[in-house]
Amino acid sequence: MSGLSLLLRVARAAFPPGARQLRTGGLRSAYAKELFLGKLRKEEVFPYPEISNEELEEINQFVGPVEKFFSEEVDSTKIDQDAKIPPETLKGLKSLGLFGMQVPEEYGGLGLSNTMYARLGEIISLDGSIAVTLAAHQAIGLKGILMAGTDEQKAKYLPKLASGEHIAAFCLTEPGSGSDAASIQSRATMSEDGKSFLLNGSKIWISNGGLADIFTVFARTEVVDKDGAKKDKISAFIVERAFGGVTNGKPEDKLGIRGSNTCEVHFENTKVPVENVIGEVGGGFKVAMNILNSGRFSMGSASAGMIKKLIEMTAEYACTRKQFNKKLSDFGLIQEKFTLMAVKAYVMESMAYLTAGMMDRPGVPDCSVEAAMVKVFSSEGAWICVSEALQVLGGLGYMKDYPYERYLRDSRILLIFEGTNEILRMYIALTGMQYAGKILTGKIKEMKKGNVSVALEIFVNKFRDSMGRKVDLGLVGKDGVVHPSLEESSKKLEENIYYFGTTVEGLLRRFGKTIVDEQLVLKRVADVSINLYAMTAAISRASRSICIGLRNHDHET
Amino acid sequence: MNCVRKLLLARELSAGRGILRQAAPGRDLPWLQESSCAQGFWPVPVRSIRSGAALSRSDLVPSARGDKEKDRGSRDGALVPFDELFERACKEDRNKASFSRAVELFCQRDIRRRGHIEFINAALRKMPEFGVERELDVYNKILDVFPKEVFVPRNFIQRMFNYYPRQQECGIHVLEQMENYGIMPNKQTKFLLLQIFGEKSHPVRKYQRLMYWFPKFKHANPYPVPAALPQDPVDLARFSLQRIAADLSAKVTVYQMPLTDILDDGKEITQPHIVGIQSPDQQELLACHNPARPVFVEGPFPLWLKKTCVYYYVLRGEPLPPEEKEEVIDSERNFYYPMQLDLDLDRDLWDNEEFYVDEVEEGPIFAMCMAGAGDQATLAKWILGLQQTNPILSQTPVVFHLTPGPRELQVDLDSESGEEEIPQSWHAKQEL
Repeated sequence: MSGLSLLLRVARAAFPPGARQLRTGGLRSAYAKELFLGKLRKEEVFPYPEISNEELEEINQFVGPVEKFFSEEVDSTKIDQDAKIPPETLKGLKSLGLFGMQVPEEYGGLGLSNTMYARLGEIISLDGSIAVTLAAHQAIGLKGILMAGTDEQKAKYLPKLASGEHIAAFCLTEPGSGSDAASIQSRATMSEDGKSFLLNGSKIWISNGGLADIFTVFARTEVVDKDGAKKDKISAFIVERAFGGVTNGKPEDKLGIRGSNTCEVHFENTKVPVENVIGEVGGGFKVAMNILNSGRFSMGSASAGMIKKLIEMTAEYACTRKQFNKKLSDFGLIQEKFTLMAVKAYVMESMAYLTAGMMDRPGVPDCSVEAAMVKVFSSEGAWICVSEALQVLGGLGYMKDYPYERYLRDSRILLIFEGTNEILRMYIALTGMQYAGKILTGKIKEMKKGNVSVALEIFVNKFRDSMGRKVDLGLVGKDGVVHPSLEESSKKLEENIYYFGTTVEGLLRRFGKTIVDEQLVLKRVADVSINLYAMTAAISRASRSICIGLRNHDHET
Repeated sequence: MNCVRKLLLARELSAGRGILRQAAPGRDLPWLQESSCAQGFWPVPVRSIRSGAALSRSDLVPSARGDKEKDRGSRDGALVPFDELFERACKEDRNKASFSRAVELFCQRDIRRRGHIEFINAALRKMPEFGVERELDVYNKILDVFPKEVFVPRNFIQRMFNYYPRQQECGIHVLEQMENYGIMPNKQTKFLLLQIFGEKSHPVRKYQRLMYWFPKFKHANPYPVPAALPQDPVDLARFSLQRIAADLSAKVTVYQMPLTDILDDGKEITQPHIVGIQSPDQQELLACHNPARPVFVEGPFPLWLKKTCVYYYVLRGEPLPPEEKEEVIDSERNFYYPMQLDLDLDRDLWDNEEFYVDEVEEGPIFAMCMAGAGDQATLAKWILGLQQTNPILSQTPVVFHLTPGPRELQVDLDSESGEEEIPQSWHAKQEL
């Protein structure tokens, strides 16, 4: 196994890393936010992002062994029953380098791009427990160090984390605090010599809490304001188990992802040196938010991978089982279910890779809204698909002797963790509203003041809408970016985007900043925007396959 | 066929008429003239029953009654005032059985049910005395007193004009009393009314209206007061406090049970009950209260539960000064989404769904209690009890603002209740 990893490392080294090092440039407002203005930034999503041939080759070299490992050496049923990932499996994962997929090579990781990470996520998700263990380790556990850590911190911790020698965990949730930062009770007090903090408090539901050696912990610290007032603010710390005073409870018994380790973690007078603060003291809130926002996009490809596997398994059953001398797959209602699953998987995949591609582009793109959209869409899609698959299987799907019910249990967590879907909907809608509101405020104010020309313009627009206007955002036709055969769908997309924009404007006019309290409205706004993004991704990808003449491209439309 | 039957019936009914007419001819005549236009179709027989009814009701009748009539009255007991009938029936005690007996007595006395309107009116008046004002079957029994089928109009002209208006009115009276006591008529009531007055008569219409509205109103009150209130003052206090607090998590504590004890030296000691209520929210509010500012015990305030009035006291604070009221939402509050939008836009007028409410500044209420006595010593015991769950109270000054109680209700009972003295008896006074 270690020979294999050596091979991988050699393969990595063989390709010049230059291709992905071009990440500079300013912060761009990304595609999804523009949707709220009724605009379509086609240069962002068209053409569908591609990866270079070298990258493709490279990723294929990774995918092979990982796939082999998962199909041959991972016994998901046993992991589920024992509620533990066996050490040899963990060792295998470590030797494949899967604990440091996004850690740069100079720290001993694989240094994968987001797209490649998403691709590997597709395979890893074949076992929910392993996927969650790995995600808790690198999507949130060590992300803090990776994103906001100093060079010394990176050099000290990342190599061991990347190799899997140390496992990381992310400690934010407390008994009284989920998403409310004000109710965090853990506290870090500065020692008298000013060299270290004493950390006290307990955290619950910490993934990898029992395995981890490195914790990213959030706790209150006293910070002196500019004007001299003392205030409590959240800070982020890197805490090693070796610092002492770290204890954890017994692993929780869960519905799904039973193999992953989730438990309480207590800190009692743990001495944390000042150098281990991530970012600055009192800046923990931003760190936490950034970590949470960045960790989500891979869930799309993960769910898609899981569903593709499930379709494979279900299809096998549907094609062999006969009732009334007819195969199950010949029945229309069964076919409908497969269509639904295939479409969902396709859209999830398209969204995930589109987002990953956007994040891989040079510059510092802010794709958190897109990532949240991917998460919401794919987690809900996964839940529906698994349930449909079980339906196809009938009574078989309900039996514990078969693996199908485990998929159902495992996929339920997708709607809950990394921000529940409800919370993420609020995030999507409010972020978009904030963006649109900033730009539209002037116009709306003018109109409210009674500016005739602005009001007239709005009235004329409304009138033209009601007369059935043709919306042209330039997807097709002259200078179009979509293949002409997709004209109908792209016209629909354009129209929907336009009307979504007018709706958002209307909502802002009606509710102003009090829209924060209109959660039911916001939920619908979020749903619409998620679907718009999904449509965009699907059209963009289908158009690309038609243009380059991929096999089976006619199946994609 | 119909006419012949009607004639016979009417003649039968009018048999008793002659005597009455003779007895008070003067009163009878204006009645006849007055309504003859309405009852023109069957003038004589129809009038007979009505005049009889009118006479026996009037105050003049008993005095004007002739000897002959008295004889008759003593013979079959027909014209004893109906109140007497009830007095006679209830020799032992007034209850449902004796009331029914009186009604039966009347029914048996005379096949023609002469004077049934007066009897029914008297019966309706007497119902509360007998405690049967909420018994549906008693109402049905009263309706059963009406002779059947006589008042059912038989042709379109009768139907067009008000047929037997006084009987119909009387029927409506019965239904009205049922309505006032909130008794819902049943199928038997309907059957009786149809038998007595026929379809589309006024009482049947009234019945239909009752049946339309009553089911709608029956469960209209989301917080119904039970028909029978608890008798024990502690239970009553517990019930009423839970009613005012309107918080399911609020906890009722009995700080002191009522107790009457005679000491060794023969002095009698009465210990009034103290029942208090406090919800976790109130506890939290009190915990946040600045102990430098006093809290007030105020009361008594009345609470009416149907016909019972109880009094309660509140522990409240002063209205918060504006600078402490506003809670600033930290921009770094929510890890996942912004709690506030940084926009310069307000809600549109059309989407402002708030009503205009004239808001009066009021301080927070921390706890409530009901006590057997309203003096300061008793209420101080309550505060003492509260201190166990709210330690902050021991550092906070408590001011007693007690009004001397509800004086307008006091006048007849205790006319000389002074300013200082708060009577012990009014904590759960039963009216009526």
